[in-house]
Amino acid sequence: MRWSLTTAIVLVLVYSVVLILFDEFVAKPWRRRRWQQRAAAGDTAARARTEHARRGQADSGG
Amino acid sequence: MVTRPSSSEQKRLLYWLGERLIDYRLPVAIGACLVTAFFAYCALQLQLVTSFGELLPQTHPYIKIHNRFAHTFGGANNIMIMVEVKEGSIFTPEVLNKIWRMTEAVDTIYGVNHNQIDSIAHRTVRYLKVAAGGTMRATPVMLGEVKTQEQAEEIRRIVHSAENIYGLLVSLDDKAALIRANFIEGRLDYRRIFDEVNERVVQPFRDDNTEISVAGEPRLYGWVYHYAGDVLLIFVLAYCIEWLLRYLYFHDWRGALRPTITGVIAAFWGLGFIYLIGFALDPLLLVMPFLITARAVSHSVQMHDRYYEEYERHNWDKRKAIVAAFAELFVPTFSGITTDALGVLVILLVPVVMLQKLAITASFWIFAITISELLLNPVIYYYLKAPEPEIVLVRDRGVFRRAVATAVDALLGPRGRFVVLGAWVVAALVGAYFVRGLIIGDPTSASPLLWPESPYNVSHQRIQDKFGGVEPLIVVAEGLDRDAMKDPATLRRMERFQRTLERDASVGYSFSLADIIRAVNAVFHELEPKWGVIPNNWVDIGGLFFIYFSGSPPSETAKYVDPSYTTAHVTFFCKDHKGDNIRRIVRRCKEFIHRGQLEDLGLHVEERDGHTTVGRVNPEVRWERAGPSWMVSTAEHAGEGPFRPGDRIVQVGKTPVRGLQSFEAAMSVETANATLIDFGLERGGTVTEVTVVAPWKAVFKLAGGLIGVLAAANEELFRNDVLMNLLGFGTMYVIVLFTYRSFAAPFFLLAPLLLANLLVNAYMAARNIGINIHTLPLVTVGVGFGIDYGLYILSRTIEEIRQRGDVEAAVRAALLTSGKAVSFTALSMTLVTALWSLSSIRFNAEMGFLLALWMAISYIGAVTLLPLLLVGLRPRFLSRVAPQYETMR
Repeated sequence: MRWSLTTAIVLVLVYSVVLILFDEFVAKPWRRRRWQQRAAAGDTAARARTEHARRGQADSGG
Repeated sequence: MVTRPSSSEQKRLLYWLGERLIDYRLPVAIGACLVTAFFAYCALQLQLVTSFGELLPQTHPYIKIHNRFAHTFGGANNIMIMVEVKEGSIFTPEVLNKIWRMTEAVDTIYGVNHNQIDSIAHRTVRYLKVAAGGTMRATPVMLGEVKTQEQAEEIRRIVHSAENIYGLLVSLDDKAALIRANFIEGRLDYRRIFDEVNERVVQPFRDDNTEISVAGEPRLYGWVYHYAGDVLLIFVLAYCIEWLLRYLYFHDWRGALRPTITGVIAAFWGLGFIYLIGFALDPLLLVMPFLITARAVSHSVQMHDRYYEEYERHNWDKRKAIVAAFAELFVPTFSGITTDALGVLVILLVPVVMLQKLAITASFWIFAITISELLLNPVIYYYLKAPEPEIVLVRDRGVFRRAVATAVDALLGPRGRFVVLGAWVVAALVGAYFVRGLIIGDPTSASPLLWPESPYNVSHQRIQDKFGGVEPLIVVAEGLDRDAMKDPATLRRMERFQRTLERDASVGYSFSLADIIRAVNAVFHELEPKWGVIPNNWVDIGGLFFIYFSGSPPSETAKYVDPSYTTAHVTFFCKDHKGDNIRRIVRRCKEFIHRGQLEDLGLHVEERDGHTTVGRVNPEVRWERAGPSWMVSTAEHAGEGPFRPGDRIVQVGKTPVRGLQSFEAAMSVETANATLIDFGLERGGTVTEVTVVAPWKAVFKLAGGLIGVLAAANEELFRNDVLMNLLGFGTMYVIVLFTYRSFAAPFFLLAPLLLANLLVNAYMAARNIGINIHTLPLVTVGVGFGIDYGLYILSRTIEEIRQRGDVEAAVRAALLTSGKAVSFTALSMTLVTALWSLSSIRFNAEMGFLLALWMAISYIGAVTLLPLLLVGLRPRFLSRVAPQYETMR
């Protein structure tokens, strides 16, 4: 299979953007929800992690 | 409680620099963007070009000869086109006309030397025709297209009786004909030649009964360019896999993006610089930019990992985390980059322009990583949104971290130490055994640039099978005066040279002026075989040359002899260009030339007590005085010459002589252009100087053609290989010495690297990968790159020992932090570099795999051998840092 330089650049750009959007809008919310569910179900490690993260977000203004 | 010594106090300057870079982020960013934009513009102008002249060591004597005579006697850039019929013979009107039209088409290809085309259908290939009245003239074998079978049969008769055609341009079974064309070096456009040969010479003439095979260097490079598009596929695959792996490691798209920014900026600077200094990218060196970018990405992953670590440690304060990561990793990063960059510079030692340009550009490119990784790092992180804290937390508690922790426990346990050290000893022994087979030059007869089953190698093999040998070694016979090539002794020496070298299994056949004169003499005497010899006097030889060449313009005869008959050549067509075979053939050439000169001087020399001593003097060679000089003479009064048995030859010309080897070298240099030769002779403890008139009319000079230039390249590589390795390791030693201010520290880092070097060289030997002009830079770069992993681990160990005071605890902490990032970068980089194995260009595939192996072995050495050496030997440069811990209690 022979590609031109332009095709290759467009491909990697599209791939990068798709991965960034996936992370921001799919992976991160899902991961946060899963932790919160675990914390609510009594998982101490998950609760500590959620607390730590919440504290961190407050400290960094996030 | 242990109070942590603030490493920021000790690295105040670096922390200050990190702060200032953030304060002045806007001008720094604008400045860097402008320069990067300029380099990016230049980078986009780059072309994929191979300059043949730049591949040659221009200062080597063989190349000087090659450059002087390539335009007349033929260079290294020949294309061989074989027309082969499956049924019948080539002597039919249909096939002969095909050869005629193909020859005409070859004459129209861009860059072809029109006077250096050999084909039975070309005007320069002639036979001697006896005309009515007994006159003779040299006539082209084919004067036009053939119309009848009778004409075809007449051509068969001519070919079978012409020694310079039958077996050379027409196969002995009459089933194949060869069209050989030489290309002008300055007009080599491999892509264009490849396309034009396909469009004009191959495609229109290939049919069910006709097979066309094409070989030769321009064709080989044409195929390489044809396959070079693979690099884009590999690039896209590598990019996607790397992004995914980094994303999985950091759980964050920033972790995937940040190293890409570093890689892209460094690539723009590097590629732009290549364009600015007038260099172009060689398709065979595309692995190199890939490798440098991989290193840039690798440094960046370390920095990003540290940034997350510091972000958590500094209670989610982005600015403090940025500055701390910058200051703490500055030393190992800068040291690693400098080692890589200066390590590559040692390639400058090889006097090959392409390698020297590569050394400079690769070195600049690697230094450019400093800009993207160190200077811009605080600025980019400042502008990027800080990662969500939960990402930072989850990243350090995943599967990968647990796997690293398990491996570290196993390594530092008593059994682990024993097993790992034992494995390294065994590996070293196996490596030492195999490395003896490493050779300089090409190890196979097929081109190692392409796969054995590639169309090029199949064609090449087919031509070799039919014609014996097609790769020329041109030895120039340069006369000391005009008409030297009419001297019977010179022509006989050429003939003997041919017969001697033809005994070598790697030489297919040979051709020289002596072949022409013998054939012409036989024709002149009604094809009586006993007259197929070289005449005894100048006059007869001159007459025969006149008969043969009188109908041809000088531009056509120049490929045999120059118009003043001063210089001609002996060309040996070799069956392959294996490094060992080239060395042996060249050695035999040198021996023949040297022996011939001693024969003319009537000398038999031997080595006694390390000195070159005259053993015997041939009484048949008689001398007479000619003023202050001696000359060989046939006059009545001639007698003994200046040499006596037992004389020690201590000097030839200006070159001092010791053993036989230095005598041979001195004779080669001092007799190259001289008609008078000075010998320093030690007789009875006194040294006297005698001058003799050279008793020969011409001197044989090595060497042109593909075999000649490869011999030169191999000799230069052999001469510089050990020195380059020593300087490469020496450079690394000095940089590590200054980095850690310890004489011992470099040994700890270089030990795993030396073992990795040994194992990779052993792998090359076992896999038949020779050191040549293309593999050398990659191998040299690999040496430098292996040290980075060790630098990160050692720096972190020193940092940790300040806090923990115990070497083992510090090493464990270093392996769990820096070691984790090193493991990730090494594993991911090894994986993506190994993607080159997919390339259709065998060279790129093998080099990609070799470099992946190199990274893997260096990594294993850095995370196993280095920690065990530190823990086991507890060097002073570590323990002297530890006491600070005591004072902090």
